[in-house]
Amino acid sequence: MRPVRGKRIFAALAAGGLTLAAAACGEAPAENTGSNGGASAAPTYSACMVTDVGGIDDRSFNASAWAGLQAAKAAAPNIDAKNTSSTAEADYEPNLRAYVTQKCNFILAVGGLMGTATGKIAKESPDQQFAIVDAAVPDASNVFPMQFATEQAAFLAGYLAAGYSKTGKVGTFGGLKIPPVTVFMDGFADGVAHFNKVKSKNVQVVGWNKQAQNGTFAESFTAQDKGKSITDTLVAQGADVIMPVAGGTGLGAADVAKGSAGKVAVIWVDTDGCKSAEQYCDTFLTTVVKNITGAVEEAATKGAKGEPLTATPGYLGTLENEGVSLAPYNQFDSKVDPALKAEVDKLKADVIAGTVTVTSANSPKK
Amino acid sequence: MTTATVDEAPVAVVPDRFWDRHRRLGAAVAALGLLAAVLFGGLAPAEPARFTLSENAEGAAWEIDGRFGAILFGVLALAAGAALLAGVARRFSTLLLAAGIGCFVLSFLCWQVAGAFMPLVDTASGSLALALPLILGATAGVLGERSGVVNVAIEGQFLMGAFFAAMVGTLATSVWAGLLSAAVGGVIIAGMLAVLAIRFLVDQVVVGIVLNLFAAGVTGFLYERLMQQDQQTYNQPPRLPTWRIPGLADIPVIGPVLFDASALVYIALAAVVIVHVALLRTRWGLRTRAVGEHPTAADTVGIRVRGLRYTNVLIGGLVAGLGGAFFTLVATGSFTKNMTSGAGFIALAALIFGRWTPFGALGAALFFGFAQKLATYLSAIGSSVPSEFLNMLPYLATLVAVAGLVGRVRAPAADGKPYVKA
Repeated sequence: MRPVRGKRIFAALAAGGLTLAAAACGEAPAENTGSNGGASAAPTYSACMVTDVGGIDDRSFNASAWAGLQAAKAAAPNIDAKNTSSTAEADYEPNLRAYVTQKCNFILAVGGLMGTATGKIAKESPDQQFAIVDAAVPDASNVFPMQFATEQAAFLAGYLAAGYSKTGKVGTFGGLKIPPVTVFMDGFADGVAHFNKVKSKNVQVVGWNKQAQNGTFAESFTAQDKGKSITDTLVAQGADVIMPVAGGTGLGAADVAKGSAGKVAVIWVDTDGCKSAEQYCDTFLTTVVKNITGAVEEAATKGAKGEPLTATPGYLGTLENEGVSLAPYNQFDSKVDPALKAEVDKLKADVIAGTVTVTSANSPKK
Repeated sequence: MTTATVDEAPVAVVPDRFWDRHRRLGAAVAALGLLAAVLFGGLAPAEPARFTLSENAEGAAWEIDGRFGAILFGVLALAAGAALLAGVARRFSTLLLAAGIGCFVLSFLCWQVAGAFMPLVDTASGSLALALPLILGATAGVLGERSGVVNVAIEGQFLMGAFFAAMVGTLATSVWAGLLSAAVGGVIIAGMLAVLAIRFLVDQVVVGIVLNLFAAGVTGFLYERLMQQDQQTYNQPPRLPTWRIPGLADIPVIGPVLFDASALVYIALAAVVIVHVALLRTRWGLRTRAVGEHPTAADTVGIRVRGLRYTNVLIGGLVAGLGGAFFTLVATGSFTKNMTSGAGFIALAALIFGRWTPFGALGAALFFGFAQKLATYLSAIGSSVPSEFLNMLPYLATLVAVAGLVGRVRAPAADGKPYVKA
């Protein structure tokens, strides 16, 4: 009889767990009719965000997107921002659908991995306004895409890295071999190539081959220890500037740099490393910034004002509109040669003016 | 006086099949050797392959022509396979098998490294670092499973261990307090596993999975509520010291890898040896094996089956918790959500690949670590072999092991079966 009792207790536990989980998911529905006492009493605009598997605190694009919604909320108090985290790819559709059911005004999907799920849910509810970061959903007019010509900023980073490197080798690695990641690596490799062309040097890139589209990947955005192991390998190959495009995995690179007594520098991605991972600030040469925060804030604010968010052309962040940029050098400001800084600034102007063009097969199509 | 003549007991006659295990293995190794000599040798450029005895391109190095090396080691592997196939030197069959596989790997390396260099110290220490949590996790698995409790919750024990190590280590500003609480973290999950599996007889695999989810949830929640708000106060643990053993540390390659290593390396290796000796040489070990193979029989001779299982699962949790400390006190200096990224499941695979023995688990863990490090290395030097292929090597090896190609793999008979007194 004991097994039966065991199973019963287990069933009770499981049921309890489910109830708790359900309670956690089912937040109070947004009060769309709410008049919050103010005279202006604009109708509440609920902006709901679904993260990808990186979670809300990935110190990277999910965190940036959430910061954007927070900023929009701070500017326009009638915006009600909330988020839910996906823990597995199978969560994308249920999470999105839950927000459709809750009648959110604006549903934001974060990350290129969510493109398919968002497209599917958007087709199911054509009157619902969606937005997505780092992906475009073709022929879904209700999905506002926010994309970034990341290769432009990564190009500058590659040039800077090549100029800064003392060993003549620079390295990069990715979390997964997907376009939002490899676009950084393409731009980086091109920037190094451009440096070699202009200066007749031969700085090599370890960890990514743009022609072959093959390189080093951690197969994870969370495994710091793998990031460290990969960085060790790249450093052993002689690289002294490393650009990890791997979310939390990349912190392993910063850790190697921290232990290298200044021999290895890291170029962070997405959000200025000195703000998102401040304990490693002294290892960050610069950051290839994708201004996801700004783009999301703008989109949410526009939506709250009732302005249309048109799916074509959507939003494309470039060096020109500051959608992508290089972060300040922070603690490396004194270590980077002023001439190199000037060259990078000049290169930025050239890219904006179109005299230098940067291309990547992984870049979002305009 | 009647003395029983035990000697004359009938001996089961084993049919003498030609294609026994040794010959089958020999054929496989010979085929691999042939493949290596022809394919790797044919593809390898005639450029020197440099294996440096340091962490980078500097220092002394072994050098060999890539094509020559690929063919040479391929032929050696073929020879080892042929010797196994011919049935000579049966006593050394394990050695021959190891030599054959080793030569195959060397042949592959000569092909890949030709025209480049491989830093041996970095490769070896990287492999060891990647293997370290697997060694501890698999040893924890051995402890539980040899006494009949399947431990699928190694991942959860890692995660709790990693979290507690970071949290307590930071608050107490003592790395040893962190290490100790990592063990406590592992024991907490192990305790829940033990109570649910042994007392309430819940399906052990199901409990394990649930506990993994629970650990991910709890640590994730506490991370968001505490650590993320204030990284300085809660999430900057000190690092485990590196211990250098004078003299031994000066041996080339092995010295800097094994004798100038993190304290956890010594702990892990000691754990493997202790568990091995204890399992085979002590009263506790005999009882553990009895309880894992035939609990009813053990019970009838007065061994407390459940008590022993509780003890073993809890000790296992302690060891796995220490494995979790690797992530925050050795590899990196901070906790992040789900940072163990499935290492607990690979440890489980190492346990199976290692045939439920401590040294087997050690070997399997080192092999998995090497495969991962090799995948990274090859992608960094721009190899033509897709990194995805190398990344799946550990799992492929486990499948091969489970399918019975590398000898009989058999779990303890009562593994996963709750014991109910009749």
